[in-house]
Amino acid sequence: MEIVTELRSVTKRYRRGDELVNALHDVSFTLGASEMVALVGPSGCGKSTTLNLVAGVDRPDEGQVIVCGTDLAAAGEPALVQARRHCIGIIFQAFHLMPHLTVAENVALPLALDGRRDPARVDDLLRRVGLEHRRSHFPAELSGGEQQRTAVARALVHRPAVVLADEPTGSLDSASGAAVLQLMDELRRQEGSALLLATHDESLATLADRVIRLRDGGIEAVL
Amino acid sequence: MLLRTFFLRPVRRRPLRFVTTVVGVAAGIAAVVATISASQAAVASLREGVAEIAGRARLEVTAPAGVPEQLLGRLRPISGDALVVPVIEEIALVPTLGDAVRVLGVDLLVDAQVRTLELSAKDGTPLVVAHRMLTGRGVLVPASLASRLALRAGDELAVSVRARRETLTVAGVFTPTRFASAWDRVLVVDVALAQELFGRQGRIDRIEIVPRSGVDEAGLAAWARRLLPPSVRVEAPAERGAASSRMVRALQFNLTALSGVSLFVGAVLVATTLATSVVQRRTVLAIARSLGSSRRQLALVVLAEALAIGVLGGALGVAGGLFGARAALASVRSTVAAAVRGVPATAIQLSPSLAIVGLLVAVLISLAAAALPLVEAIGTPPVQGLTSERPAFLRRPSRRRAALLAIGLLALAAALARAPAWHDLPVAALLASMALLGALLVSASPVLDALARRTAGPQGGGGAGTPLRLAVAALAAGRRRASWAAGAVGVAVALAVAIGTMVHSFRATVVDWADQGMRADVWVRPLTATTGVQVGRLDPEVVRTAERLFGIQVIDPFHTAEATMRGQPVTLGAGAFAVVARRGGVSFRDGRDSRDVFATALRHHAAVINEPFANRFRVNEGDTIRLRVPGGELVRAVEAVFFDYSHQQGMVVIDRNDFLRIYPDDGPSELALFLPPGADPATARDTLLSALGGRFLVEALLNKELRDEVVRIFDRTFAITRALQAVAVAVAVLAVLTVLFALLGERRRDLALLRAVGGSRAQVAAVVAAQAALLGLTGAVGGLAIGLAIGLVLVKVVNLQSFGWTLRFLPPWSALAATALLVTVACFVAGLAPALAAVRMHPSEDLREEG
Ligand SMILES: Nc1ncnc2c1ncn2[C@@H]1O[C@H](COP(=O)(O)OP(=O)(O)O)[C@@H](O)[C@H]1O
Ligand SMILES: [Mg+2]
Repeated sequence: MEIVTELRSVTKRYRRGDELVNALHDVSFTLGASEMVALVGPSGCGKSTTLNLVAGVDRPDEGQVIVCGTDLAAAGEPALVQARRHCIGIIFQAFHLMPHLTVAENVALPLALDGRRDPARVDDLLRRVGLEHRRSHFPAELSGGEQQRTAVARALVHRPAVVLADEPTGSLDSASGAAVLQLMDELRRQEGSALLLATHDESLATLADRVIRLRDGGIEAVL
Repeated sequence: MLLRTFFLRPVRRRPLRFVTTVVGVAAGIAAVVATISASQAAVASLREGVAEIAGRARLEVTAPAGVPEQLLGRLRPISGDALVVPVIEEIALVPTLGDAVRVLGVDLLVDAQVRTLELSAKDGTPLVVAHRMLTGRGVLVPASLASRLALRAGDELAVSVRARRETLTVAGVFTPTRFASAWDRVLVVDVALAQELFGRQGRIDRIEIVPRSGVDEAGLAAWARRLLPPSVRVEAPAERGAASSRMVRALQFNLTALSGVSLFVGAVLVATTLATSVVQRRTVLAIARSLGSSRRQLALVVLAEALAIGVLGGALGVAGGLFGARAALASVRSTVAAAVRGVPATAIQLSPSLAIVGLLVAVLISLAAAALPLVEAIGTPPVQGLTSERPAFLRRPSRRRAALLAIGLLALAAALARAPAWHDLPVAALLASMALLGALLVSASPVLDALARRTAGPQGGGGAGTPLRLAVAALAAGRRRASWAAGAVGVAVALAVAIGTMVHSFRATVVDWADQGMRADVWVRPLTATTGVQVGRLDPEVVRTAERLFGIQVIDPFHTAEATMRGQPVTLGAGAFAVVARRGGVSFRDGRDSRDVFATALRHHAAVINEPFANRFRVNEGDTIRLRVPGGELVRAVEAVFFDYSHQQGMVVIDRNDFLRIYPDDGPSELALFLPPGADPATARDTLLSALGGRFLVEALLNKELRDEVVRIFDRTFAITRALQAVAVAVAVLAVLTVLFALLGERRRDLALLRAVGGSRAQVAAVVAAQAALLGLTGAVGGLAIGLAIGLVLVKVVNLQSFGWTLRFLPPWSALAATALLVTVACFVAGLAPALAAVRMHPSEDLREEG
């Protein structure tokens, strides 16, 4: 199986007051193409930190973060931008849609930032997440589930190799949370993307091919 | 506690924003304080001068061209009830001072009871001083002037009187008991010496009447009138001051209006800044409320901040305004001095009331500006404050409402601009300008909305288009703040454009007028003060010398005297019509050749009048005017109306021979020399100056020199206006800066997200910078249009109504385009700071989940 993401002995420290805190300590794992891996563990165990490193919005203090063949730990800003544009899709707990863009515009944003235009692709994804009729609405006019479905479409629109989802159901009720998760998994399978899912809720991890349990910044178990 | 968390903490963490806000408030207040205190100082010096130098006089006897001395005798019957004091008040130049002084000729023996001037004991007993005054061309010098010129009793003091060099002896130094500034530049001499110096044989300027206690003033006035011929006026000194200061009133009004305008700009800036900073903390306020803070607590916090900003900005502004005022005074002073025959203005003193007003205004505007968004923020339930703002487009009804309001304001402005002056003041026209600015503010929001609609639409496109579209969308989302910023930029640009247009139109008109009307080869006039203001007249001997040298047919002495038209003071001028009829002069309203006009006027004994006169008294070509002059009445037909930008109270010009039959020859105020073709002006000037020898302090200017000087004086007069223009541009940039930082703070998360989904740093910076440029551009375009409209009102209505001047409307197109471009670029550059801040943000931190 082709490896799309690999963490090698990654350590990440944050300064809290005068002391340094290890958010991640010597973490290593791989993510294969089309594989779904769940990162689970209690709040504060380092899940978001891991995802931020893979997304290239943060850098590790030690170790390597290899995404689509590039070590993001050593890469310059342009390479990070390229990785985000072509290799990674992100879904957040708080949706984080651009409030002043419509649903369709939000979905098209990753393409637009790359100077691309693909209305057919946007329409296709909107249809598949069931939001065609909402395409001209603004995020504030949508329910939580609809907002997260928009975010799912946005994360997939540029055909990333890896989709990162940080507590994607954390802001939703259990029914719509389950529905979104189902949809996310289905779509990324169709697209052939890998999925790295961070959640504190182990029941959501049942869909995953593998489950990595974190505790205090280290890997406690791989199931 | 709350104050610390929500006010002090943010200030400490983001000092720059707080500082920008304070500076913005200070800029607005400084502009106002500077303009008002400069004009106050100028006008106050005039008022105090009139009031104080008149001493305790309750009544004054005056007459055009002076009161004949023998009328003093006619007033003898009232001397039991009142003191009767002769006064000559004239102007002379003190070359060592480089400035004009007032020369007060009084009867020292009686005057001590009218004016209380404390003589310095060093100079000897009053009797000794009086003896020096009466025998040795003695002069009393105020202590301040004496120390400035290092003068002591017995020293000689050279003055230029009617361009003659005269030497006086300091008889004593005095300290005025009140209004020291009014006496700063006053020399006191005996009335007989004043008569000799100024060629007033047998005449005095006024007789002051001081009633003894218990005497009825009105009865006394009536009695004095019965004793005196009807051509003589008996009135209170204040009335004389009021009548002569029509020009000063107009000037003061316009300065105050300018101050008001700068206040308006300041208010818009303050409002923008504060409204922004409150809206920005919507979320924080909502959280605080959901945690149990009462509305009152939150209101207190926000208002405390506004108060701090108001007080700090106000204090800085008042201090800065004082500095500005010193610079402004130079410009205002020469305007006032030109208007009222070289009255030197007092030094700038900040009146405590103005300082308080400045502070209060700053605080009030700050509080008001914070209150509006505050009411909105605490009026909405906390839940809504926590969900993100809903960025819909403007709905149709509100779009239509804004458009109707803007159109209504434009219509109102058009109507007001056509309204007549109110008590000679262009009140309606200035209200029209305000309405235009209002229309600009009102339309900012729908214009931004339309812009957003335009750019919204199908997705995709080039990489460069995306940041622009995102910027527009972000502006549309934060439209309320964005439209304030665009409005502020618009108002500032409009003012800069309006002022620029007015000054340029005025300048171009004046330059044209000077080119057309100033045809003589050499001008001779008394030495001017350093302010460029002419002091006094030329001695008749100067005219005779010139006539001897060059022949009578090339000499045009220009005389001026006071006369009254329908009870109002006007200027009566006189020139050698025969000379001008050959060589031509001023340009006429009906376009006739000036040589024809003067030839006809000479034949028919007619007068020509200047445009301010025609406008003020609604007199036209062919009408007959009646002026009250010393000998009685002067009745003349009006041959033509000429353009004139100097005698605002109105001037009638008749032939010199005509004039000298009515007025004694006190000497002309200037003399023009029309040399035969081929003669060298410079040589002629040297010939004349050497013939005059060292006896006269005159200046002789060649044609080009005089025209250059006209322009130089013009530029100095408008220096203050230009400074205001600069303030306006600065305000525009500050407004954009504040709003952008605020929008940036609000959109941190969006910008971080942009990075997370593939936006590069450059793209994020471009989004922010594009917002800045868009705000600047929208404001600049709107401001340009409205500014031109206001400029038109200023040029065509305000100037005509307040000064009686017709100006051509000549916008300095390239300068205006440059201003608009400059503001847009400045806004863009200002936007680089927040853009840089956006680039330096850490996306992972701004995206951290709150849950
Ligand atoms: N920007 C930061 N500054 C300081 N500490 C941080 C920062 N981000 C995360 N941490 C700390 O790192 C640890 C891991 O955080 P995180 O990855 O967000 O956990 P999780 O997502 O599993 O709840 C926590 O102890 C958290 O407090
Ligand atoms: Mg987390």
